[in-house]
Amino acid sequence: MTIVSGKADARRRLQSARSDVLRKMWEHRADYAYVLPAIAVMLIVIAYPIYYTIELSFFNTPPGLQLRDKIFVGFNNYTAILTSGVFWQVTFNTLIWTVASTFFSFVLGFAAALALHRDFVGRGVLRAILIIPWVISAVAASYIWKWIYHSDFGIIGAILVELGWAERPPNFIDSVSTVLPSLIVVNIWREFPFAMIMMTAGLQTVPEQLLRAAKVDGANAWQRFWHVTFPHLRNVSTVTILLLAVANFNSFIIPWIMTGGGPSNASHIWITHIYELAFGRQRWGVASAYSVLLFIILMTLGYFYVRALSGNERKDGSA
Amino acid sequence: MSTVSETISRGQSARRMRVDGWRWGGRVFLVFMLLYTALPMIWMLLTSIKSGFAAMQFPPQWWPDQPTLDSYQKLLDPQNSVGQDFLRFFWNSLIVSTATTILSVIVAVPAAYAFSRFTFPGRNFLFFAVLLRNMFPAVIFLVPLFILMRAIGLVNTHGSLVLTYLTFGLPLAIWLLKGFYDNIPVQLEQAARIDGATRFQAFMLIVMPLSTPGIIATAIYSFIGAWNEYIYAYTFLSKNEQLTLPVGIQRFFSENTTDFPGLMAASFMMSVPVVVLFLLLQRYFVRALTEGAVKH
Repeated sequence: MTIVSGKADARRRLQSARSDVLRKMWEHRADYAYVLPAIAVMLIVIAYPIYYTIELSFFNTPPGLQLRDKIFVGFNNYTAILTSGVFWQVTFNTLIWTVASTFFSFVLGFAAALALHRDFVGRGVLRAILIIPWVISAVAASYIWKWIYHSDFGIIGAILVELGWAERPPNFIDSVSTVLPSLIVVNIWREFPFAMIMMTAGLQTVPEQLLRAAKVDGANAWQRFWHVTFPHLRNVSTVTILLLAVANFNSFIIPWIMTGGGPSNASHIWITHIYELAFGRQRWGVASAYSVLLFIILMTLGYFYVRALSGNERKDGSA
Repeated sequence: MSTVSETISRGQSARRMRVDGWRWGGRVFLVFMLLYTALPMIWMLLTSIKSGFAAMQFPPQWWPDQPTLDSYQKLLDPQNSVGQDFLRFFWNSLIVSTATTILSVIVAVPAAYAFSRFTFPGRNFLFFAVLLRNMFPAVIFLVPLFILMRAIGLVNTHGSLVLTYLTFGLPLAIWLLKGFYDNIPVQLEQAARIDGATRFQAFMLIVMPLSTPGIIATAIYSFIGAWNEYIYAYTFLSKNEQLTLPVGIQRFFSENTTDFPGLMAASFMMSVPVVVLFLLLQRYFVRALTEGAVKH
């Protein structure tokens, strides 16, 4: 196939390839009917909004969102973002929030899946209890924890005072230095069960024979885990971590309900900040520009997500 | 002889000790996780059966002195205004979640089946395009969707919510179900076709029953997602009588900031339907993940 071919030849081949695709599409026209509803919904609710967001990011739109009165401002919205101090503070918060939540959710969830892998009395009940935080609404979770952290009547503060570790109940979510870690604890509480479910499902695919063979060969528990179990779970782990990272990067409800981004922006992350810019201060242009930047970051993450998934696909095909 | 058996038994006890170390570590860890998970929920329940006065004490009443169901009665009583609102929010949530669930199964099943069985051009592209939806936060879509809903006259209707909720349930639903269909041998359908079934009959009679766990898992996922959704409902609905539970509760308690027993009772009742549903059907969920998404 390395033979250099003439221009006409190449053109002919290109043409035949193109008509080939069209012919194939025509032949498979009935197949598209199956995916059409899904694609139609996706187009309306995704493609159109993305187009609109990009357009709005280059305009200043009046607070009432009267689209006819918008003014073209070029890249002004983008430079406004990148030169503001809040941007860097919020970005730093988002980074800590995403990395810490993802790391601890994954580690705790994986460890819980491993600890629950061996059968014992009450395993099913225990697993069910551990999953509940993931199922209940984030709004309910936020209120429960807000009450737990309450600066006067919160139970954690009361326990700390009772044990003599604190003079008076500490201010968990009203103080700049403790607010972000406190919210991350809530987020992990809600997210680790997802990692646990995924890893539980993954663990069931590790072949028993391999583990037994390794045991016969004298591998200890840690070696069996590190050399047999873990390599088997590489793909599941990648997908789980990516999904967690995206979910955490995109979280909104917990910081929004518990603190609204305060005190003094200490718990603002990207999404809450964008929401406040758009629906609080009605600065649609700047909020849209933020969304476009967010979009670019997520596309990069999405690239790795698809790669991890298609890694699965390829393995599937060869198996 | 004696030295050999001695070494063996010493080796065995050493191994048992090491194994026990891991097992004990696991147990301690599980107890820690149980406390971390359950204590907040227990505190929610304990607070919900206190009176407003008993909840606001320092040091707190670890166990309520006079347990009372007042908060629950108030929320469930259709005679007073609080109860009316709460029951209406509950009903709204139920309608929106059920509609979303039914629609997403109807849309996801054929799509997943096509992605699994047919090889039409652009199949991979479309598949990943569907999956990519999961990457984007609601906030990105909020402004344009608000404009769109305003344009097609769906603002302040439950239809706007159902349409939006459909899209975030779909990617995972399609992904899970595709994994299921991939694992069902094509030969089963072919055999049915040879016996005279149409493609549709083969699908309904052979493929559907085999993929029931996947469909149940998909339905649970959609229902829970719709039940708990907050941002779109918060933005699209403004009329009090249309609010769904998460927004309704938030509105209500931003006016009554100190009624923590009421808030905890409301949180509890909002959680009951999804928790019960999930606990009843969770084995399907884990199985669907194992067979649909993870197994290769």
